[in-house]
Amino acid sequence: MSAPALFRQPPSPQRVMGRISTATQSVANGIAHVADAYAALPRTYIRRGQLSTEARIKLMIERLREYDADVVESTPQLLPASIASQLALSGKRTFAAPVGLPVAWLADGFDWKIDNGLTATEIEQTEGVVTAAFCGVADSGTIVLHHSATEGRRVLTLLPDWHLCILRASQVVETLPEYFSRCQQPPALVTWISGPSATADIEMTRIKGVHGPRFLHVILVREQL
Amino acid sequence: MTQTVPSRAATNRVVLDPRLAPPFPQAALPMLRNPQLRKNVAHAIDVIQTKRGKLVAEKTDWQELREAASAIRTHALENLDTYLEEFEARCTAAGGQVHWAADAAEARQIILDLLRQENAIEVIKIKTMTSAEIQLNPFLQAAGVSVFETDLAEIILQLGEEEPSHIVVPALHINRTQVREIFARRMGLKNLSDDPKVLTNAARTYLRQKFLTVPTAISGANFLIAETGSVVVVESEGNGRMCLTLPRTLITLAGIEKVLPRFQDIEVMLQLLARSATGERMNPYTSLWTGVTPGDGPQRFHVVLLDNGRSSILARPKHRQTLKCIRCAACMNACPVYRQTGGHAYGSVYPGPIGAILTPQLMHMEHAQSLPYASSLCGACYEVCPVKINIPEVLLELRAQVVNQERKQAVRFLDPMYLGLRIANLLFAKAWRFHAAQWLGRIGLRLFTRKDGWIHSLPSTGAKWTQTRDLRGLPSQTFYDWWAAHVKETK
Amino acid sequence: MRASLFITCYNDTLFPETGRAVVRLLERLGVELEFHPRQTCCGQMHANTGFRGEAFSQAKRFVRLYRDTETVVIPSSSCVAMIRDQYPGLFEELGNDALRKEFAALLPRVHELSEFLIDRLGIENVGAWFPHRVTYHASCHGVRALHLGDRPYRLLAKVRGLDLAPLPNVDRCCGFGGTFSVKNAEVSSAMLAAKLQDVVSTGAEYCTALDNSCLMHLGGAMHRQYAGMKTIHLAQILASTEDSPAEELE
Repeated sequence: MSAPALFRQPPSPQRVMGRISTATQSVANGIAHVADAYAALPRTYIRRGQLSTEARIKLMIERLREYDADVVESTPQLLPASIASQLALSGKRTFAAPVGLPVAWLADGFDWKIDNGLTATEIEQTEGVVTAAFCGVADSGTIVLHHSATEGRRVLTLLPDWHLCILRASQVVETLPEYFSRCQQPPALVTWISGPSATADIEMTRIKGVHGPRFLHVILVREQL
Repeated sequence: MTQTVPSRAATNRVVLDPRLAPPFPQAALPMLRNPQLRKNVAHAIDVIQTKRGKLVAEKTDWQELREAASAIRTHALENLDTYLEEFEARCTAAGGQVHWAADAAEARQIILDLLRQENAIEVIKIKTMTSAEIQLNPFLQAAGVSVFETDLAEIILQLGEEEPSHIVVPALHINRTQVREIFARRMGLKNLSDDPKVLTNAARTYLRQKFLTVPTAISGANFLIAETGSVVVVESEGNGRMCLTLPRTLITLAGIEKVLPRFQDIEVMLQLLARSATGERMNPYTSLWTGVTPGDGPQRFHVVLLDNGRSSILARPKHRQTLKCIRCAACMNACPVYRQTGGHAYGSVYPGPIGAILTPQLMHMEHAQSLPYASSLCGACYEVCPVKINIPEVLLELRAQVVNQERKQAVRFLDPMYLGLRIANLLFAKAWRFHAAQWLGRIGLRLFTRKDGWIHSLPSTGAKWTQTRDLRGLPSQTFYDWWAAHVKETK
Repeated sequence: MRASLFITCYNDTLFPETGRAVVRLLERLGVELEFHPRQTCCGQMHANTGFRGEAFSQAKRFVRLYRDTETVVIPSSSCVAMIRDQYPGLFEELGNDALRKEFAALLPRVHELSEFLIDRLGIENVGAWFPHRVTYHASCHGVRALHLGDRPYRLLAKVRGLDLAPLPNVDRCCGFGGTFSVKNAEVSSAMLAAKLQDVVSTGAEYCTALDNSCLMHLGGAMHRQYAGMKTIHLAQILASTEDSPAEELE
C-alpha cells in the first residue's frame, strides 16, 4: 500500500548509511586508514604467467577453438587479405564496422555499414561485424573489448550474428591479472567475451548462440620481430 | 521414450516467501516424493560438479585465489560505509543516479517511481535474484507495468508460473519435456520438439523484438566497483548485454554488500566465479559499465542500493561473513541435502546452504527458523565456497539464536527434543546420573527390542528414527562396566 | 606410551565393542591405557543443536577431567572435531582465561584414533587380520574437520586378508548429522538411501568408518532392508587377529 505522495517519506540514504556505519564501527576504529588495510590484503595468487610467447599464443588459439571459435593466423602484411578471405568464406555480404576501423581492413566487394550512429535496426540488418580488440587472455580464451573507436560501440558486437575479431599477438596475455596490469586506468566500458553466447538452462545441455553472435572468428596477427 | 508429464498448472504453486513457507522438513516432503524432480536436480548438479572439479584441479593457485577473495570481500564489508560513499560519488560523477532503499517496500516504490517517470508500461529484465527477493515482478504487474524476463530459465519460470529453485540455474528442476510443454502452451507453438536447440531458438525469436523495442530495462549487479562507480554483470546468454545496451533507461538493483573496492579486484572474482558457478574457465559474457557513456548504451542510468536486512547482518562480526557471498551457487551444488530436496524446500529465493544462513538473517530471525537446521553440518559447502564463508559456523550461531528464542517460549515444554536435550545436559553433568540413565534406558528399551536384538519401532521422537532405520538394542554392558571388570581381571 | 581413552557417550552406551576393540588394539601395541571413570560427553550434540550454554558446561567438564592427562585418544572423529573446532570459540566466549589456557595446552594432546596410531605411535601395520571385502566410508568430520587424509587407508592397506572396495562418492555425507537425523528425518533418510546405494554397489560384506554415528545410521538401514551387509568400526577391524577375530567378539 503506498501512502499518498504528500506523506511518503523520501528514501533515506542517511538511514541506510547510518546503520552501515554503526555496524562497522567496531572495525573502523581499529584501522586508521582504509587504503593501508587494502594494500595489506594477501595476494599470493598467480599474477604473471610462466609460458613463453609461443606457448601463450598457442594456448589462446587452443582455448578459442574449444569454444568453437574459428581461428586463423596472419601477419600485418597479409592481414587485409586474411580479412577478405574470412569475409568471403562467411558467405555474407553486409558487414558493420566501428567508426575507427582501419580503412585497409574494409575489404572490397562487401557492403560496409560504418557506425557513424547506426540505429539498432540498421545494425540488426547487417550480417556480421569486424572489430579490433584490446586484449586476449589465453588462460580462459577471453577477448576483451574496451569499445574504443576500433572496437566499436557495445551494440555493434552484440546484434550481428557473426563477429570477426582481429587480435594482435602482442595483445595476448596469459593470465587475467596480466590484463588488469595492462590497463593504465580502469576503463569505463568493458566486455569480456569467452566464446559465443550459450545457455545450459535446459537439462544442462549447452546450446550456443542464444543472443549475441553465434559465430566468432578470430584472426591472430603475428607481428614480425 | 515417452514420459508422463505432470501438468504443471495443476501442481500447487510453491511459496518462496519465508514469511509464508512451511518449515523445511515439511516443505521438503513433496520434493522427496518426486523422483523426476530429484533426477533433474541430481543431473544438473553432477554436470556442474564434474566440470568444476576438473577446472579447480587445473587451477594451481585456486586456494590462493580463495584466500584473496575472502580477504577482499571481508575488507570491503568492514569498510562498507567508505566504499559505498565512494561508489555513489563516482557513479554520480559519471552520470548515474544512486538511490537508497532501506527495505524491499522502499526499493519497489523507488523502481516504480522511476518507471513512471519514463511512462514505462513495459520493462525487460535480466535475471536478478535481488528483484525476486523484494518480490518486484508482481508489484510492477499490479501497478500496470508488464515485466518481460529475458533469461531462458526465467522465461521458463515466468511462462510456467514456477518458482526458481537455484540461484544460477533457476529452472534446473524442469526437464526438456516439461519446457516443451510450457512453451507450446504459452507461446502458442504447435509441433514444437523437445530438443533444447529448438526450445532455445523459440525463446530467441520470442525475445528479439522485445530487446529492440522496449526502452526500459532492469538489471541486477554481480559487483559494484567503488573506485570507479562501475557495475559488473556476469552472464552466459547475451540477454544481459541486450538489456544493458539497447534501452534508453537502465535501472540496476543491487544489494549494498556487492561492493568491491577496486577495478583490479575483479581479476580475483572472475577467476573464481565462473569455475564455481557453471564449471567454465570464464562465462561467455561479462559486462562492465560506468554511469552513462554518451552515444553508447542507456543515457539514463539508476542504481538502487538495497539494505533490506543486510546492515543488521553486517553489525554482527561472526555473521558478517554471510555477506561475502558472490552468488555462485557452488555451495548448493556441493550440498548433499540440496541434492535430495532441490531449492523450493527452502521457501526462499536463496536456497541451499547460503540460503539457510542468509534467509533467516534477512528476516531478522523472525521467520525461516527451520532453515539453520536444514543441514547435516557436513562442511562440503565451506570446502567449495570461493570466498570461504564458513557456513557451518554461521549455521551453528543461528541455531543457538533459535534455541535462545525457544527458551523464552512456554511451548518449549511440549517439545520433546527441547526437553530431551535439557535433561541430557543434567545427566552428562555427573557420571553417576549418566550411568543411571544408561541403566534405565537399557531396561526401558527392552520393551521395544525384538528377539533379533534390534528395535524396529519407537514412540515419539524415536519414531523419526525408526520410520526408516532399525536401532540395535542397547548392549547389556556399557563400556564403562566392561572396563571396570577388565581392570579387575588384569590386576 | 600412556594414553587415556575417551570412549564418547554414545560408544559407551551403544557400541561398547568398539571400546573393547580399541583397548585390545592399543594394549597389543604396548600402550598403557587409562580410562577416566567420570567421563560422560564432549557436548557436541548440544552445541550442534544450538544449546550453547549446555555445551559450555560439558566442555568445561571435559577440560577439567583431562587437563593433567598426557594423551587422550578418541575413537570418534566428530567428537574430536567438536573439541578442536568448537571448543576454542566456546572458551573465548566464556571469557574464563585460566580455563582457556588449560584447554589450549590440552588440545594438542587430544587425538582421534587413526591420528594416534599414525602420528603418535608411527605405526601403519598394527598386525591385524580381517579376511573380508570391506568398503570405507569417509565421515565428514574426519575428511573436512580433521583432514585425516589417507591415514585410514594406510591402516586398512596393512590389514592382512582385507579386500578394500572403493566407495563411489566416498566423501558424500551419509545424512546422519546428529539431531538432523531426527529433526529432518525424511531428508536424512533420502541421503541415507543414496549413500546406501553406493555402499551396496561395492559388493562388500562390511562397511567401515571411524565414526559409529555414521555406522549406526547406515547399519540401521541395512538391517531394516535386509541389505546383506553389516557395519563395523575401523577399530574393530584393526583389533582383529587370527587369535581373536572380530566377529566372535561382537
